[in-house]
Amino acid sequence: MVTIQSVLRSARSAAPTALLALMAACGGGSSSDNNIGGSGSGGGSQFVDANQYSAAPGASLSTPNEATGVTHGSLALGGSAIAYTATAGHLSALDASQAPEASIFYVAYTADGAAAATRPVTFFFNGGPGSASVWLHLGSFAPKRLATGIPATTRAVPFPYVDNAESLIDTSDLVFVDAVGTGLSEAIAPHNNQGFWGVDKDAAVLRDFIQRWLVVNGRTASPLFVFGESYGTTRVPVLARLLETAGQRVHGVVELSSIVDYNSNCSVSGGTPTVNCAGFLPSYAAVGDWWHVASGSSGDLDADITAVRSYADTTYEPDAAAWLANGRLPPASHVSALVAFTGLGAGTWQQQFDMDFDTFRHHLIANTTLGVYDGRMSALVGTPLDADDDPSNTFVAPGFQSGIRSLLPLLGYTNPTTYVMSSNAIATWDFSHAGRALPDVVPDLSAALALDPQMKILFLGGEHDLITPFHQTELDVARLGAGAPVAMHFHPGGHMTYLDDDARPLMKAELAAFYASALGAQ
Amino acid sequence: MRTALLLPLLALAAVVDAAPLRDPAQPPSAVQRAAQAQNRVRPASVGATLDAEAESHLRASFDAADTAHRGTLSRAEAQAGGFGWIANHFDAIDTRHAGRVSFDDVRRYLKARDANTATR
Repeated sequence: MVTIQSVLRSARSAAPTALLALMAACGGGSSSDNNIGGSGSGGGSQFVDANQYSAAPGASLSTPNEATGVTHGSLALGGSAIAYTATAGHLSALDASQAPEASIFYVAYTADGAAAATRPVTFFFNGGPGSASVWLHLGSFAPKRLATGIPATTRAVPFPYVDNAESLIDTSDLVFVDAVGTGLSEAIAPHNNQGFWGVDKDAAVLRDFIQRWLVVNGRTASPLFVFGESYGTTRVPVLARLLETAGQRVHGVVELSSIVDYNSNCSVSGGTPTVNCAGFLPSYAAVGDWWHVASGSSGDLDADITAVRSYADTTYEPDAAAWLANGRLPPASHVSALVAFTGLGAGTWQQQFDMDFDTFRHHLIANTTLGVYDGRMSALVGTPLDADDDPSNTFVAPGFQSGIRSLLPLLGYTNPTTYVMSSNAIATWDFSHAGRALPDVVPDLSAALALDPQMKILFLGGEHDLITPFHQTELDVARLGAGAPVAMHFHPGGHMTYLDDDARPLMKAELAAFYASALGAQ
Repeated sequence: MRTALLLPLLALAAVVDAAPLRDPAQPPSAVQRAAQAQNRVRPASVGATLDAEAESHLRASFDAADTAHRGTLSRAEAQAGGFGWIANHFDAIDTRHAGRVSFDDVRRYLKARDANTATR
């Protein structure tokens, strides 16, 4: 009770500012019916936002607004219709002295008529750093989604925008948030985008955004969940710790395609790895299975993964460590075992025994590039799908770019600026965190759990993701100890695991169980 | 309406045309080298070392709230300094009813609660 009362007190003190800003901003909106769900109740408002937003490092917005486009929709889920409101626009993150820091673009899907005290709200973040939340927004658990048909690479752009039978709107309100300098989010003068491009500064401004959103929307008592993908899984543990520290409880943290320790992941350590790649071996085996090149495959992916995971831990990890230390290859029988597990030729293993994902995906199949995000997707070398050296990105990115361009006006929000799916924040990002040059956020999760032992964590991912491999996540998360309130589920699929039509329903069921457990623990 | 209108627009065009972002992207090589040097002497933490790293996050937040450098926080100072969790749990942490709590008081409270949870 202490928690809720003190939060409500701070809500009251902040509310007048927020209301004034909203009232001023809403003057430009005009009422209209724009039913994005096809059978909604109608009655919304359009907002034509004249601001120019920029993702440049030095960019700084001087005229932030907080007007929104509001539309209504309805989604049939599990035999009943869920009426919801979609709200698209900006809200300013405010610092401790209530001074504006950044104008954050978000799209919120909120179920109509739900009780604020018990209805969960989930904030979604993609990664990069420098990626807008367009992937989670358009591909995962919103009331509608883009149907990509992956791992096939045949569907034409624009991808169909379909009702989402796996939407989480039956479980939680959903807020998709663009980090500063991505999408349409920008720092507010005197700050600039670069000022929020660092592990700690980024999480702090997003904490401020979440707290402001909860206050403005009267939701400070709602169970709170944060959901990150990719770099978002680095961002969200820091964010959860900062929210808990500030006194805002976080009921659940969802980590999809995780990198919780940059120091342990051999794919982010550059050309020739200096980090042990043993955490990648089960993913290489899953990709070898998919392409039917792994002679040791039993045909049962789960069984194969169990076997190769054990081999990675007991044999390949020390072998790779020895090779990294002194260039010494293990006995030929060990190389043969790796060839059988993965299908990758012995010569390639002998040249690059600590196997990085780039060497693997360019050498598994002759004249073929396999996807970084999804090793089941491929392109013949030199073909258009190979243009960016990642067919799994090249195939889906144009559909998402065109999708967000079409969607925002349908959500009642119009703006002349190009929505920035990915900015170059990575080039100047401050990766330092807690005295390390590259972030390790396992201690952040541990600190958040110390403050709130009832917080729960769910890790999800794809077994064919070649950049944040599931077994590396298992190894990193094991550091939290056996008693940690952690659940993990991995499925055939890539980095954007939800794009897979078989994985998405499984993930939805796991998410539903996770939310029930996180809420039941209260 | 905005500062330096043309420059950000030009920069934005460059961003849009750039090769797609890989996510997570490789940090700049200088950062990787610095991390590798560190990791040789500071491996990934587990057990008591991980607990200490987690605690140092909380200590940093405590010190940031303690703007007067007194080593203790009142309930109001904790709230104003961004450590609302301490304000929310103040009475349980302040077992001596001193009206101010030290970081050691916070540690004691967390340890006692942890032990209590473990025996449940």
